[in-house]
Amino acid sequence: MNVKIDGKYYSGNKGETLLELARRNEIEIPSLCYKEGFEGLGRCRLCLVEVIEGNSTKTVSSCVYPIRDGIEVLTNTKNIVNMRKDIIFLLLLRTPNNGYIRKLAEEYGVKAPSRYLDMEREEDCILCGLCVKACEKLGTNAISLVNRGITKKVSTPYDDASKDCIGCGACAEVCPTNAISLVEQDGKRIIWNKTFDLISCTRCGKCYSTEEVLHHIDEQLGVKTQEYLCESCSRRLVGEKFKEAFQNLI
Amino acid sequence: MDVLANSRVMDMAIDIKGDYNDSMDIIERYPREKRYTLAILQDIQRKYDFIPREVMVLMSDYLGMPISDIYSMATFYKALSLKPKGKYIIKLCNGTACHIRGSESIREELETILNISPGETTEDGLFSIEVVNCIGACALAPVMLINEKYYGGLTEEKVKAIIDGIKEGHR
Ligand code: SF4
Ligand code: FES
Repeated sequence: MNVKIDGKYYSGNKGETLLELARRNEIEIPSLCYKEGFEGLGRCRLCLVEVIEGNSTKTVSSCVYPIRDGIEVLTNTKNIVNMRKDIIFLLLLRTPNNGYIRKLAEEYGVKAPSRYLDMEREEDCILCGLCVKACEKLGTNAISLVNRGITKKVSTPYDDASKDCIGCGACAEVCPTNAISLVEQDGKRIIWNKTFDLISCTRCGKCYSTEEVLHHIDEQLGVKTQEYLCESCSRRLVGEKFKEAFQNLI
Repeated sequence: MDVLANSRVMDMAIDIKGDYNDSMDIIERYPREKRYTLAILQDIQRKYDFIPREVMVLMSDYLGMPISDIYSMATFYKALSLKPKGKYIIKLCNGTACHIRGSESIREELETILNISPGETTEDGLFSIEVVNCIGACALAPVMLINEKYYGGLTEEKVKAIIDGIKEGHR
């Protein structure tokens, strides 16, 4: 499939989205709610581009737009840049104190008049839904988008400690604006109003995960882990084993 | 199925206030498919006037769906409520005509008399207030609807008399 992006031709695979094709070819399209390996969510709309097909031009979200042979794509027209600016403007009003959004606004030269800005606002979440997707991908489904309109937010049911939450922190990890509070202190991790005991690595003693996470992994893989190893120790162990096997060979 | 015997309800460690055994009859009327979630929620709302937490757990088990998804849906639709509603549901109109004719001061009066805000229910479970958009009775503005009955041409004094009247009937 041939797709023309900003004047150059690229060949795409069937089923690929525009954003994926662009990323693969290092064409910059901004995005907030896109994460590699996840299907596009189409929530933030920052990835807008113009698609020309035949005589018609339309504006689409590239993260959810499957490519078609022969289309032409413009990623940076005046129109597109203005729309992105509008979106960033609105996000800035929602999260005026968020570092990431402020940086984005600066990059795009977006300024909000002070009469619109409420600097007391402590909101960091832009409701992109990536965290909910991550939780779903893990098969835990502890959080979801709740309420609607101006009260919409991400939370566990009834804001309570959820029995489905395993404290993995994947939600906090994928969040583009660092909006999810994850606190680690004295061998405990607190996230979504739930406190977890942290497990330490049997080799190096570093705290690295919660018991619930390890249990969840065992359950999904249908195995029983014998030794609790942190990432670097387990990598080292694989390396050692490999070396051993290699030495036995020669 | 006995709700209390359901282990998942038990280990949620929530205080089971009501008896929602009947809810299983409603739930089981539908096939075990995700797409019936809203229909079941609507039936549950009709029966109990709200969506009890315990019922959400039962639904989650039955439909094989995470509670977070059901909660998400239950909090999205205005027709569904997570809190029990009062015996008398006051729907105060704030459509254009009512607004112009002073529905705001009627709302304030209601809030003062009942000591609750819109969306809440009095402690005795008697009243809830909802502010709604045009109930199609502009000629009566400002107007409110209590259960199925219309009260028009409201003034602060009238509101007080109406509420007192209902309370009186419940002594
Ligand atoms: S918490 Fe972060 S990842 Fe989740 S919806 Fe908000 S901004 Fe997106
Ligand atoms: S990245 Fe496409 S809508 Fe957010």
